[in-house]
Amino acid sequence: MKTLQANAGVLTNLEVLEFLRARGATSDPMGCLGAVAPSECKVFDYLVNTPACNQTRGAIDEFLKRCEKFKLAKAEKFNIINLRPSNQALIDPIIEYCEKRLTKDEARGIDEVQELVDSVLEVLPPPPAKPDEEMQDLEEPPTAKPMEEN
Amino acid sequence: MFCLSLIEHNLPLPPHLLNRPLLDAIKEELERLFLDKVLSNLGLCISIYDIRTIEGGFVFPGDGSSTYKVVFRLIMFRPYVGEILCGKLKASDANGLHLSLGFFDDIKVPVHLLPHKSRMGDDGIWIWEHECGDLPMDLDEEVHFRVTKINYPPIPLEQDANASPFSPMEIIGEIYGDGLGLLSWWAD
Repeated sequence: MKTLQANAGVLTNLEVLEFLRARGATSDPMGCLGAVAPSECKVFDYLVNTPACNQTRGAIDEFLKRCEKFKLAKAEKFNIINLRPSNQALIDPIIEYCEKRLTKDEARGIDEVQELVDSVLEVLPPPPAKPDEEMQDLEEPPTAKPMEEN
Repeated sequence: MFCLSLIEHNLPLPPHLLNRPLLDAIKEELERLFLDKVLSNLGLCISIYDIRTIEGGFVFPGDGSSTYKVVFRLIMFRPYVGEILCGKLKASDANGLHLSLGFFDDIKVPVHLLPHKSRMGDDGIWIWEHECGDLPMDLDEEVHFRVTKINYPPIPLEQDANASPFSPMEIIGEIYGDGLGLLSWWAD
């Protein structure tokens, strides 16, 4: 075995998720036997619970365009896309030397970190609610009513 | 977290696969060899991304199988040092925390990389002593951690009967710093 290129390209979580989905992986553990291996199923289950599960390529392109002005490293941009930090505290460990590179000047009203967080919140869709949150606001679906009347 | 690696391998194709289309047979053989295995310094192989070239098909003397030289790309799980990942807290003991990503379990956060002023509670749960109060690191919580090192220990020649199973790839993480640690500490 010979390694020709150890790093032939980085993939976002979304790309790996789409690749596994195209191969036939589903959340149902019995459904994906035969099409994908059990280890691939585990990776799929992990990715489905990350913000990548309802991202689109369009949203990612839009986000990359918007954060060009902050001059972030490619690895940092990918990390933000994979993690979708929703506030300044969560974005701080991703960007190295955050205080020096992104200016925060309250006197002049510039807060680049907050601008970056706002871009994340606007462009990248939020992850789906966790199961225990969904149970609390369970509502009757509106389409059920016309069926019952007939 | 994930990247592609371009690999070239001389693959002997076992005779029981000779009735299958070549591409399928080679893909199955590659999956058998590489899937869910750790390649040293390349990471954990998640999946075969694509097959670039297949050459050869020679039968060497004394062999029942044909050997192909295959160039292909693998999806590898190999986080870079400094990446922030999100895992679940699986276990905690006197040496620190053990985190898991579902498909990868060997993530350790040793004691010196826990937040400043952490102590071990009576029930084996680590607690962060913060000004606003004590914050316990309960099990099954989502934790953001930074990757500090990835170790690929060599296969041991001898092992005790009751030693923990050998892990070919280990990630050392840290939760020392703003925004790291339990997600519930920092989320809105």
